Amino acid sequence: MIDLKEIRKTYGKGESSAEVLKGISVTIKEHSYTVILGASGSGKSTLLNVASGLERPDSGAVLYGGRDITTLTEDELTAFRKENIGFIFQQYYLLPNMNVDKNVKMGADLVGNREYRSLIEAMGLGGKMDKYPGQLSGGEQQRVSVARALAKKPRVLFLDEPTGALDEQTGREVLDYIGRLHQEQGFTVVMVTHNRNISEMADTVITMNSGRISEVYSNAVTKNAYEIGW
Amino acid sequence: MVVGIKDGAKLAGIMITSFCAVLVCTLFLNYNMDLVSMEDVITAGPARMMYDALMMTSKVVCCVTGGCLLATTVIMLFFYIRHYIDTHKKELGILKALGYSDMQVAVHFWVFGLRVFLGAGAGYLGASLMMPWFYGTQNADGMLPDVTMHFHPLLFLYLVVGPALFFAGAAVLYACRKLKTPALSLIRDNLWAEVKMPKHRAKDADSSFMAELKKCTLREKKILVFFMVFASFCFSAMTQMSFSMEELSSAMMGAMILLIGIVLACTALFLAITTVVRGNSKTIAMMRVFGYSRKQCSQAILGGYRPAAYMGFGIGTVYQYALLRIMVDIVFRDMEGALVYEFDFPVMCLSLGFFAVVYELVLYGYSQRIRKISIKEIMMEG
Ligand SMILES: Nc1ncnc2c1ncn2[C@@H]1O[C@H](COP(=O)(O)OP(=O)(O)O)[C@@H](O)[C@H]1O
Ligand SMILES: [Mg+2]
Repeated sequence: MIDLKEIRKTYGKGESSAEVLKGISVTIKEHSYTVILGASGSGKSTLLNVASGLERPDSGAVLYGGRDITTLTEDELTAFRKENIGFIFQQYYLLPNMNVDKNVKMGADLVGNREYRSLIEAMGLGGKMDKYPGQLSGGEQQRVSVARALAKKPRVLFLDEPTGALDEQTGREVLDYIGRLHQEQGFTVVMVTHNRNISEMADTVITMNSGRISEVYSNAVTKNAYEIGW
Repeated sequence: MVVGIKDGAKLAGIMITSFCAVLVCTLFLNYNMDLVSMEDVITAGPARMMYDALMMTSKVVCCVTGGCLLATTVIMLFFYIRHYIDTHKKELGILKALGYSDMQVAVHFWVFGLRVFLGAGAGYLGASLMMPWFYGTQNADGMLPDVTMHFHPLLFLYLVVGPALFFAGAAVLYACRKLKTPALSLIRDNLWAEVKMPKHRAKDADSSFMAELKKCTLREKKILVFFMVFASFCFSAMTQMSFSMEELSSAMMGAMILLIGIVLACTALFLAITTVVRGNSKTIAMMRVFGYSRKQCSQAILGGYRPAAYMGFGIGTVYQYALLRIMVDIVFRDMEGALVYEFDFPVMCLSLGFFAVVYELVLYGYSQRIRKISIKEIMMEG
């Protein structure tokens, strides 16, 4: 369970400062599929970064099963991320000079995962192990980044607009893979998006509006990646 | 100005090397010129021999340090320009697309010459200030009639103005050559497009991620391996030589060589490591996101250069031994009470120990710096 308590975050100083998170309190349940929905600039990415321990809030607490990660040192935070967190970004951020196998291995080696190749297969990339990111399509690259994140067996997977750079077809594919692996493996999913349709895949939806949470609701019925609109 | 070349800190390397080169060369050449003017006065046997030896030593010193430093400066200059063009592809591409010719853009690279001018000028000034003291120590042994100090403005022309013009010209020409790429391919600046994709070898399949990363980092920027080798080479050769020089020549010469060696080595090391860390900041950021520790990052990114560094140290040791051997055997062969030169093992150990400490400390310092690489900044770059 992730408990966010009164999170505040301001960027800049003096007159040009802007409060991006204005006191956010919310709970994300373990094993849930949570979507953070909001317009561009509403502070979603910042919230995701704070919740995952990439950034520190100015005030407030981020509790993982009661342990506040905002009080950890930089090195402790790194160790925390290593053990608990997986990330997927809109821009993939694969290492361009390494092939698919080695990119995924970056995640796998952290936890001594030797069966990571089955994940590559599961993402439908079995025939592309030797390819470099530059030789892959956007959707394929994002699938590699999903495999890389899951290869470290995270307890929570954070995704920041994972389909933001993809077309409808490949976007659906990626979401479909994530949805199925979530079902199978039971990790917690926290996904940021500005696409309201995607929130229909989630069991919990947190909507944001200029640095505040405007609504939190559950979906009684969730849809899969091919049932939602785009 | 179309291109703002403001990377001041990076250019410091060029200034430092030109400063050192001009400082040393001015001192010795100035002394030499004054000495030559006294040639007719010196006729007696031992004094004559001393005169020849002095001439020879200053020539050797000028050639070794001056040449060494000149070569370094040239390499650094080209390295900077290439680096600058690589990292500013988009802007440069847009300029070209707007219709600026290669030359119009390249002309702005003349500022590199300005840096050389500043560094060399400071070196000349430094040498002028040190001159009285230098003459004093050279005259102190009293084997030759006192050499009086004269200023030779021609040296300023040869050592400061000349190199500055040369470097300005070289920078512009080199930049022009480098810019001869179609505007579009500069703008598209596809990171991917550049990456050479090595053939996948079967034996690589099971190497760990860290091992693979180490290999990739080395493979991508071979020039940095050269810098590492060069840094430790300078350090090793110069420090060890300085101790022998103290015995063979004068304490001051020893101290000077020591200083230059350390300055050069630090500059090259700093340059190499900064470039490695900057060039891999995306990778490091991603590794930090995933939970790789600082130590692991610096090991994977910088650790691969360690063999190169120690290899450079070895080469430097051999080099300085050979050089001194030749100097003693040939130059001082006919001198009375012939000098003996033996390989100084304790000094080598000392120098190696010191080098290891400095090198590992620098690496440690950078692993501390890796902490500061902001994940968010890198992500905002897109
Ligand atoms: N490092 C930063 N420095 C200054 N302002 C920032 C920084 N990061 C984000 N912001 C600002 O904070 C606001 C929210 O950003 P973000 O969390 O990325 O929103 P979203 O992901 O919902 O689009 C934006 O106005 C953005 O410009
Ligand atoms: Mg965002």
